[in-house]
Amino acid sequence: MLETEELKKVFKGKTAVNGVNLYMDKGESVGLLGPNGAGKSTTISMISSLIKPTSGDVKLKGQSVLKDPGIIRNVLGVVPQEIALYEELTAYENLKFFGRIYGLKGKELEAKIQEVLEIVGLKERQKEIVKTYSGGMQRRVNMAAAMLHEPELLIMDEPTVGIDPQSRTHILDTVRHLNQEKGLTVLYTSHYMEEVERLCDRVYIMDHGQIIASGTKDELKSILSGEETILIDLDRPYPDLVTDLQSHDGIRQTIETEKGLKLIVPKGSKLLGSIFQVAERHQAQILNVNVKVPTLEDVFLHLTGRKLRD
Amino acid sequence: MGNFLKKDILVLLRDRTELMILLLMPIILIAILSFALRGLLGGETSDFHMDVAFVIEDDEQQGIVEFIADLENTGMPPEVVLELEHAVEEVKPYTMLEQLMESETVSDMVTVAELDFSEAEEALENEDIVAILTIPEDFTYRSLQKMLLNEGDGSDLLITVKDYGSIRTDAFINMIDRYVSTMNFETAISQTLIKLGHEEVLSGSEGENIEAQELGGVESISAREPVTSFQYYTISMAVMFVLFVGSAIASKAYVEKKQHVFNRIILSNQHPIVYLGGKIISASFISFFQLFILFLVSSLVFRTFPLDEPAFWGGIAVIAMILAICVGGFAALLTAVTVKYENDALNHIFAGGIVTLLAFIGGSFFPTSEMPAIIGTMGNWTPNGAALTAFLKWMQELDMNVILPYLLRIAVLSVILIASSILIFPKRRSV
Ligand SMILES: Nc1ncnc2c1ncn2[C@@H]1O[C@H](COP(=O)(O)OP(=O)(O)OP(=O)(O)O)[C@@H](O)[C@H]1O
Ligand SMILES: [Mg+2]
Repeated sequence: MLETEELKKVFKGKTAVNGVNLYMDKGESVGLLGPNGAGKSTTISMISSLIKPTSGDVKLKGQSVLKDPGIIRNVLGVVPQEIALYEELTAYENLKFFGRIYGLKGKELEAKIQEVLEIVGLKERQKEIVKTYSGGMQRRVNMAAAMLHEPELLIMDEPTVGIDPQSRTHILDTVRHLNQEKGLTVLYTSHYMEEVERLCDRVYIMDHGQIIASGTKDELKSILSGEETILIDLDRPYPDLVTDLQSHDGIRQTIETEKGLKLIVPKGSKLLGSIFQVAERHQAQILNVNVKVPTLEDVFLHLTGRKLRD
Repeated sequence: MGNFLKKDILVLLRDRTELMILLLMPIILIAILSFALRGLLGGETSDFHMDVAFVIEDDEQQGIVEFIADLENTGMPPEVVLELEHAVEEVKPYTMLEQLMESETVSDMVTVAELDFSEAEEALENEDIVAILTIPEDFTYRSLQKMLLNEGDGSDLLITVKDYGSIRTDAFINMIDRYVSTMNFETAISQTLIKLGHEEVLSGSEGENIEAQELGGVESISAREPVTSFQYYTISMAVMFVLFVGSAIASKAYVEKKQHVFNRIILSNQHPIVYLGGKIISASFISFFQLFILFLVSSLVFRTFPLDEPAFWGGIAVIAMILAICVGGFAALLTAVTVKYENDALNHIFAGGIVTLLAFIGGSFFPTSEMPAIIGTMGNWTPNGAALTAFLKWMQELDMNVILPYLLRIAVLSVILIASSILIFPKRRSV
């Protein structure tokens, strides 16, 4: 349905996106992952015809979006990373305005507005002014506005930041439902790995303006098939211990987490004993140890050397 | 478009600060300026009063008889003689002076007593009066000779005052000066017109004023309705503050761009021109309503304009409409620049400087008649100045022909503004 060909964007000598090729089939749900500044939003803006690529093209059903932005605009819904709403208007007034610029009117518009408000769970508070909403509620209206006109392709750029877990689950389930039952094609950018795991069939991982890995969730995880993750909870941080472990033979990566440490080690390596020894040496108190198969988060870490969220 | 208009109005209505600037501030200023600068226009001068004496040595009736008798002896063709005899009826110099003194504006300010010279001198000595105006013998006869036939030296009016340079005497001398220049001016016109063979104008008082504007712009004070300071400042504040709608709308466009709502609109596949058109319509509508509200409130609170004259309000509406479209043009140009460069500096410059400058040149703070002529001329080329003049002239004369040139200027400017905004506005994408 959609593909990009060597998309590139240079902002005043700074390359934000550098030769991105990705595709989406109709009805697919695709995730786009990458750390801050990777170029995700820029890629999305080029796909949705909001900014002009420095080079490369976007093709929708084989036609160039660059030549005729109209073709993608007609089928597209975008949830921007920013809150793109009139702050002084109520949720209802916003949706009414955005619905009408898409040519909806009358009863149909009214029904649609109530439907999307239901999805984002703001039906009761629709007559309140957006400025007075909490950040999470504003995000929800921001999403609702992109779904009014029943787009074939929904692009969401970190749509759930700041939304409480319950509403988030509800929204994700709805998007998943639209994707599976109605054949809505979804491109989803998020920092929440579990969202992408839940929602997306296929994932692109992006860093420094380039796609560094892609495939189904299982394909990506198999990149780390030879590894496992050891989570160690400690009573407090031990910086020296980290340094020691980092130089320890056989441990591929040592990352500090909130609770303690995360180690990536070759599968089947019997390292636990020596890790305990090192910990002993530093008089570190180990509260809990957990050995896991890799997650997408780990894949991401492996590929970029960075955590998704700081 | 209706959708855009509704949204823009809603957004503006929720913005208290902007509403205060657009509606409350002009009303306060109308009140302040009107009270403070009352004297400047001579409209409401009830607290400024003077007594003067006229000493009449002339006999108007006899002067006219003599003049006509002379005419019939000159050997001019009888049509011309007849025409001139008619003309005499229109320009009887003393009658015109009397009318001036009895006119609403002047009679509020000046009380005239007819005295003989010695009585007048005594009154002046006792400071019962501030000035004596002597109308010399043969004043009528000689004035007519000069005015209609350009023969002789005309006649002088003699003003005797006690304390030269006081405000009252100055005002009176001024008034008589203006009367004299009006007479001289009408002399110039009648003679020009006789030369041009344009006889009808001599008898039609309506035609006079139009010609007057073009021939030299000396104001004829006799024919006009006076303008009160409330009227003046209601109009001048309205034409000034209406300009702020332009920058208000454009700064909303800046917010739309900044907060990515503009992107949403573009993504809906609306042509960018529709967006720009929406701004023009919104700004025009809002401007028109703002003008309407200001005129209405001023009329209700200060009784500035009579509310029961549909013809008067019809003309006011036409001028307001054209001015409002011009503000739509300003809004469009400012929006185009703001959205293109994603920078609202120009809005600030416009609201913070350009409007004030336009308002000053256009006579919103002081009537341009009090300023050098060049400013008056320039002022009539600003949209607000041209509208101000059009409003004033409409108020006084209720004649569309008189205000048409001003409306045309505003319309031309609107077209220029809108055309350049279309050229500047980004066509397909934002980058
Ligand atoms: N309009 C712009 N002008 C100049 N540089 C820009 C512009 N937009 C983005 N960039 C730069 O391009 C790079 C990619 O930005 P982009 O917003 O696409 O990243 P992102 O992956 O969406 O990051 P995040 O997760 O923080 O949203 C960044 O280094 C950013 O500074
Ligand atoms: Mg982003």
